[in-house]
Amino acid sequence: MIIQIAKDILITCGISAFLAFILTLAQKYLNNYGICKIDINGKRSIDVEGGSSLLNSLTDKQVFLPSACGGRGSCGTCKCKVVSGGGPVLPTEKPFLSSTELSNGIRLSCQVKIKSDIRIDIPEAIFNIRKYRAVVHEILDYTYDIKGITFKMIEPGQIDFKTGQYVQLETKPYGKVKQKTVRAYSISSKPQEKDRVQLIIRLVPEGICTTWVHNHLQVGDEVNITGPYGDFYLRDTKADIIFVAGGSGKAPIKSMLEDLQVVGTTRKMTYFFGARDVKDLYLTEEMYAYEKVFDDFKYEPVLSHCSPECQWDGKRGYVMPYFKDAIIDPKNTEAYLCGSPGMINAVTKGLKELGVPADKIYFDSFG
Amino acid sequence: MKETPQESKIIARMQAGVITLNGFLGSDTRHLHEIIAEDAKVLSALGTSQSEIADRMQYFSDASFESYDTPVFIEDNYEVETDVVRGKLPCPFSHAGLYRKTLTTLHNRANGISVRWTALSIHMIREHGFFEGIGSPFRLDPQKLYKALFT
Repeated sequence: MIIQIAKDILITCGISAFLAFILTLAQKYLNNYGICKIDINGKRSIDVEGGSSLLNSLTDKQVFLPSACGGRGSCGTCKCKVVSGGGPVLPTEKPFLSSTELSNGIRLSCQVKIKSDIRIDIPEAIFNIRKYRAVVHEILDYTYDIKGITFKMIEPGQIDFKTGQYVQLETKPYGKVKQKTVRAYSISSKPQEKDRVQLIIRLVPEGICTTWVHNHLQVGDEVNITGPYGDFYLRDTKADIIFVAGGSGKAPIKSMLEDLQVVGTTRKMTYFFGARDVKDLYLTEEMYAYEKVFDDFKYEPVLSHCSPECQWDGKRGYVMPYFKDAIIDPKNTEAYLCGSPGMINAVTKGLKELGVPADKIYFDSFG
Repeated sequence: MKETPQESKIIARMQAGVITLNGFLGSDTRHLHEIIAEDAKVLSALGTSQSEIADRMQYFSDASFESYDTPVFIEDNYEVETDVVRGKLPCPFSHAGLYRKTLTTLHNRANGISVRWTALSIHMIREHGFFEGIGSPFRLDPQKLYKALFT
């Protein structure tokens, strides 16, 4: 009886092993797509091993599309135009694509499997995106929940970016967090310092990356950064400027001001920084100091939630009522906004009412 | 009840450190479908539905969305504030879409009850009847939530 059971087990195991072997062979030979070509913008062609996702294949060749979820199909940021090849749009992609995007051939690159030659169009700026190994050089406490972290580049040793752009920071597993996570943060340092980037990061309740940065990251730690990304940047014109930021939205504006200090400008500029309370203000002295650096610059912190007892002689309420005093020629005014979407909506509405053209209002709405 | 592969995948995504730092199940020892079923019973006893609750939460979140940094007062009794931070979160049930990292805080001045929720909380209640496990940082007790929203 026992011998018979042992025999049956052995036979079952044998059949299973045989089927697994056949499956492996089938996987290897039937799913072998060989070397496929990815034609990028009709200008550059790269050879990749078929069978992998478009996102991963491009990443392997140092072409970095933005991706916040690491290719799991849950963030919808790795969009690109597939001109030919790539197969049909998958149900996993459709929720992230508008009807216009679908009709224009936009796909989620993490969901497109390379099975044959494919032609894609991506913005030229993507070619400037690199993966960097960097080391934490300095951590500054700006407020009770905002830190400024400077990373020095190790490999490559230099980064080229425009003011207002952002990078993606990759966390390491820690505590309950067993996998890497990637999050985007605006660069707050000037582009002339090519060996480093500074990020301003606010602690978010339940945030995997911000908790890591605030509670675990130490000076000397090595991290991975990719970038630069984004098209929120300072336009090179002679127009007057209104900057509006709140919270960690100060980061790209700081970068823009540091850059303007280096390159020089005579543009009229007013910077409104909206915060709840005195304890939410930071880099205040540094921002006021720009009033002596530039010919025509004014820094205007405005507190929305300051109790009558709080020690504050400055402006109170929302920033919008103060725009009319700062805007002299609305048609010749550009606005650069960075903050929560609620703030962006309210500020945009206020600026339009004063006559600032909609196409001159640029923003980063914590997307 | 046996766990389906789909449920296993959802439960894996609800663990601490996958989508959020502390996950969605907290210290609750009940199975996911038990958590949902027991909360559904509470809603039924209250004579309400998950869509009615979600609609009301959405109404308060929308009404306070543009009043950044300052609470708004709605229908006399409700003091509501919505804070938004950078980034979006996916649904652990693998439902399509991404949800902004918003945090709406509501204080009912008539009965003193305060509750807070995220954009993802509204979605999970509406589409999945999921109020999160007991001990989860964003668990919403249906009875308390109902009292905060409707009385």
